[in-house]
Amino acid sequence: MDNLLKGNFTVAKPVLDEPPVKSLEDQFESAALKRLGGSITFVAKKKVVWDLASPHGKTAK
Amino acid sequence: MARQPNSALPADLAARLEPGSLARALQPRMAALTDEYNAPIALANAARNLPFLSAGRSIAELRGASLGKSNRAIVIAAGPSMHRVNPFPALRNAAFDGAVIATDSAILRCLRNGIVPDLVVTLDPHDSSIVRWFGDPALDAGALEDDYFRRQDMDDLFHDELRTNRELLDLLARHGPAMRIALSTSAGERVVRRVIECGMQIYWFNPMIDDPDLPDSRSRRLFESNRLPLINCGGNVGTACWMIADAVLGRRDVAVTGMDFSYYADTPYLNTQYYRQALELVGEDNLDALYVRIFNPHVGQWFYTDPAYLWFRTAFLELAADADCATYNCTGGGILFGEPVIVATIEDFIARSQH
Repeated sequence: MDNLLKGNFTVAKPVLDEPPVKSLEDQFESAALKRLGGSITFVAKKKVVWDLASPHGKTAK
Repeated sequence: MARQPNSALPADLAARLEPGSLARALQPRMAALTDEYNAPIALANAARNLPFLSAGRSIAELRGASLGKSNRAIVIAAGPSMHRVNPFPALRNAAFDGAVIATDSAILRCLRNGIVPDLVVTLDPHDSSIVRWFGDPALDAGALEDDYFRRQDMDDLFHDELRTNRELLDLLARHGPAMRIALSTSAGERVVRRVIECGMQIYWFNPMIDDPDLPDSRSRRLFESNRLPLINCGGNVGTACWMIADAVLGRRDVAVTGMDFSYYADTPYLNTQYYRQALELVGEDNLDALYVRIFNPHVGQWFYTDPAYLWFRTAFLELAADADCATYNCTGGGILFGEPVIVATIEDFIARSQH
C-alpha cells in the first residue's frame, strides 16, 4: 500500500485534517450555553453517592 | 457567517425564530453544555479547596440528622416571588418546627426576617458573584460597574449595594457561627475563605458532575481525591437544598419557597438574570425566542422562563419523582408544578405534614 499512496512532490506546508464543521445552530447553542447555563450539571437517575464500592464497581446508593 | 446586527445570532437562524423556540431547542443540550462550561471551573476549585477541607466535616455527618427539628423541612430560595409572596410571616405565625434550609442567595432575606437558617447551601463555582451573598469585605464603589445584582432587584435588597454589603457583613459576624453550611467543593476560593471567616459550621460535599458509574467518570475521580459524598444538585442551588433535605437529612415532607424558575409576566426583560447575555446573543428584536411563556393554573397567572430555568424545572420534576419525601411547592407562583409536586400554601403544608 505504501507504494501506491506515495506522492510525487513535496508539499510546501503540512496538510492538517479539517475539523468537523459545526452547523450554525450548533455554534450558536455552544455560545448560548456558555452564557445561559446552570451552576452545575444535572445527572439523570442519581441522588447521593455516599461511597464508591470499588474503583471500577458500581455506585452504592 | 452572516449575523444579526449587534448579536451572535446567525441571520438565517434568526429568520426561523418563533417565541420560545430557541429556549426549547436548547433543552436537550443544557446538561452537556453546562457541564462543558462549568465543570472545569468546579474541578479546579475542588482541587484548590483540598487544603481547606480540614476547616469542616463531611456532609455525611448530617445524614439523618434531626437538627433538633421535626421530620419536615422548608427550602427558602430567592426567586422573584419572595418579594410578592413573603413566606416569613406564615412561618412565624405557624411556629414552623421543621428545618429551614436556605440558598446562599436567601441568607440576607432570612436574617432580615429574624430567621437563622438551620442549613445554608452554596454550590455555584463563580466566585466573584457568589461571595456577594455572604458579604464581600473587599467590595467598594469601583467594583459596582456590573449591574447584575441591581437589575434583578425586585425590592430594596440591592438598591444600595454598598449598604447591603455592610449589612450582610454585620449580620454574618453576629449569626455566622450559629449557622451550618453545606459547602460544595466547587465553591470559589473567596467564598470558602469568607465562610471560614464567618465561623460557619462547614459540611463539605462534592457536586455530581457526571454519572459516577461511567468509565473514567470525573465525579468518581473527584470522590477519590477527597472521599466526600457526591450530591446530584439538579443544576442549581435551590434544587441542591431540596436534594439535601430529602436524601441527606431524610426529611419526610419538604416544602420549597422562592423556587419560581421563572419571572412574572410583567417583569421587563431588563430585570432578568441573563438579560445582558441574551441581548448579546440574539439582539433585542429576537429576545422572545429565548423565553417561554407558561400559564400557572394554580395561581391563574402567566410567567415566562429562560432556557436555564426551564431546564431546572424539568430536572426538578424528574428528581422529585424519584424522591423518598413528599414535595410541596409553597412558592405561590412560578412554573414548578406537575406530578409529583403538591402545590400548597405554607399553612396547608404545615397542616398536611403534621404527623
